Amino acid sequence: MNDLVEPFVAEARELIQAATDDLLALEAAPGDGAAVNRVFRGFHTLKGSVGLFDWPPLLAVLHAAEESLSAARAGARAVDPGLIDLCLETLDAVARCTEAIAGSGDLPAGFSGEAARLVARHGGPSAPPEPGPASAPEAGPVPDWATAFAAASGDAAAGLARVAVRYRPRADCFFAGDDPLGLVRRLPGLTALDLAPAEPWPAPDLADVFACNLVVTLLTTDSREAVDEVFRLVRDQATIVTLPAASAAAPSDEPAGEPAAAPRSLRVDAARIDDLAALVGELVVARNGLAHLAARAGEAGAEAGFARALRETDARLGRLAGALHREVGALRLLPLERIFRRFARPVREIARGLGKEVALTTAGGGTGADRAVVEGLFEPLLHVIRNAVDHGIEPAGERRRAGKPEAGRIALTAERRGGTITVSVADDGRGIDPERVRRRARERGLLPPERLAAMDEAALLDLIFAPGFSTAERVGDLSGRGVGLDAVRTALARLGGRVAVETRAGAGTTFRLVLPPTVALSRLLLVEAGGETYGLPIEAVTGIVRVARDRLSALGSGRATILRGRTVPVIGLAARLGLPAGAPAADATLVVLAGGIAVEVERVRGHLDTAVRPPSGLLAALPDVAGTTVLGDGRVLVVLDPSALEEGER
Amino acid sequence: MSVRREPDRIVLDGACPVEDAETLAALLLAEPGLPVDWTACGRLHTAVVQVLLRLAPPLPGPCGDPFVARWLGSLAKQGTPDGAVD
Repeated sequence: MNDLVEPFVAEARELIQAATDDLLALEAAPGDGAAVNRVFRGFHTLKGSVGLFDWPPLLAVLHAAEESLSAARAGARAVDPGLIDLCLETLDAVARCTEAIAGSGDLPAGFSGEAARLVARHGGPSAPPEPGPASAPEAGPVPDWATAFAAASGDAAAGLARVAVRYRPRADCFFAGDDPLGLVRRLPGLTALDLAPAEPWPAPDLADVFACNLVVTLLTTDSREAVDEVFRLVRDQATIVTLPAASAAAPSDEPAGEPAAAPRSLRVDAARIDDLAALVGELVVARNGLAHLAARAGEAGAEAGFARALRETDARLGRLAGALHREVGALRLLPLERIFRRFARPVREIARGLGKEVALTTAGGGTGADRAVVEGLFEPLLHVIRNAVDHGIEPAGERRRAGKPEAGRIALTAERRGGTITVSVADDGRGIDPERVRRRARERGLLPPERLAAMDEAALLDLIFAPGFSTAERVGDLSGRGVGLDAVRTALARLGGRVAVETRAGAGTTFRLVLPPTVALSRLLLVEAGGETYGLPIEAVTGIVRVARDRLSALGSGRATILRGRTVPVIGLAARLGLPAGAPAADATLVVLAGGIAVEVERVRGHLDTAVRPPSGLLAALPDVAGTTVLGDGRVLVVLDPSALEEGER
Repeated sequence: MSVRREPDRIVLDGACPVEDAETLAALLLAEPGLPVDWTACGRLHTAVVQVLLRLAPPLPGPCGDPFVARWLGSLAKQGTPDGAVD
């Protein structure tokens, strides 16, 4: 199956389920404005996902339903049982399509008729959605050229072919950087190829060397999905025809259809992987209990051979548990590439719709993140990217006047820093003017004018994420409908992450989506303060030093010391955590953090490999806590968040 | 330079990007019928293939680009010295 289709199916099933639940909630409370909004957003998101593919009837149905709900949202249409029934029927139809797509990669046969009836019941097509490419996705009669070409290519070539393509590149395609044969080269199953002039050659002349005048006709055993993917960006120039199996000369083509080298994979319910990961986490913690026993056996003067054997067993178990934890963790990881590649098409379509030229580049797509996070990131990221194309990148004329290349650039980048992953969307557009934000916020009445007047640039910029800031009511195929950047912030918060924006007037805007750290096996440095033991992620520690107390000097309201010629602020961990400090030793033990501060502790007790759980309950409310784990002797260890300690110091 | 003029022929050497189409066409238009040695060429851009299809120079030997050799070998058959454009 096309690897774009698979995530779509998974996402669509969830969206359909959520929209069904929301519709039923709306039925129970028809006056609930928030419920109408949720249902509307559900259909809007579904339409956005379907818009990535060429399924015009399905897109039309979702567009019509969205129109109905938009009217209901605006109060122009009553939320009555008729509307709810119609929307549920629509969802049923979409669910049938999704299952057909999951099975065959395409809409069910005869769906167009049903789609037209549903669209009519929703009130007819108002703003018709994208007409879609010329080629009919539903299996229709095979055109004459394909039949003739298959016949001319002989049985050997035509026998196994599943798809025929006629591709007439645009005359100016070379200038656009296309290499039409380059696309054909990407079809491993090619069985016949013909290259001919599309029009009779004009008299030879250097002037038209770069005018493409070719028509490519081919047969291939590649699947329809694979062929669609190859010609995805030139669908307006290619006619792709699925050949009926009956035309295959060899009756036994089915078993031979799939190459033996297909990757072996097994679909497993994500919840079972989560259970497995939790169990492995428990195993790691239990093994730490054994480490504790091994250490005690040594101290208690147990027989030397026994203590050593116990230590060796413990070390082996530790290695195995660590490896198992990494493997299970990797099962839950999905490369961000999986969603990155889904943005190329929307960017192209949105830019084209706005008459802009935008190049999207991606980097760091190999970065893996938790499956749920990757899947939950698509919608907010699409929103931010759409926003960059729409509001960030200037029209070509304005860019020319500013001395920029006409084509705008959007860079989508993922990078891992410490335990967290940051996905950034950077455009080279006009930037966000804080004064405009201030004006807009005043017009919308988001905050009292005196508070707005006192706000600095950073605070003003943050207002773009406030609910009600974006209320653009443009009705278009994929553009915003008042589903503003607040939805992005909400989505990130739901994932446990956050979003921030930076901008420079005239130079561009960067949105940073910071994802939550994955539950991972961490190596912790164990430190003591106020008589308690705490963990610090070892990756944040750059060194441990002991300095004479007289080398700590007062700095502002705190203390500092000089390390390797640099002034480093020192915070006392006990005081910071509100614990009674023990009697100060002659020398201070400082743990130096990567962020350039030092933490004074009473003792360093070694390190521990363990699975850290995110904080929950009361602990979640504490500012400096990154998570918890269980020590070998059963005590709970609080793991501190180095970045919070550093921020607190600034 | 992936397009090279030698005394008795034009040589395509290595990958031939889109710009080579113009160089190749200019050489062939100046001396119609000059053979093009494509045995050492790498990946040919479509624009270069189009020049070969259109101006139909003699193409001795197998093409160095395996894709073109496999699928577009017929280009070589149609190219005869007489087939050169006038």
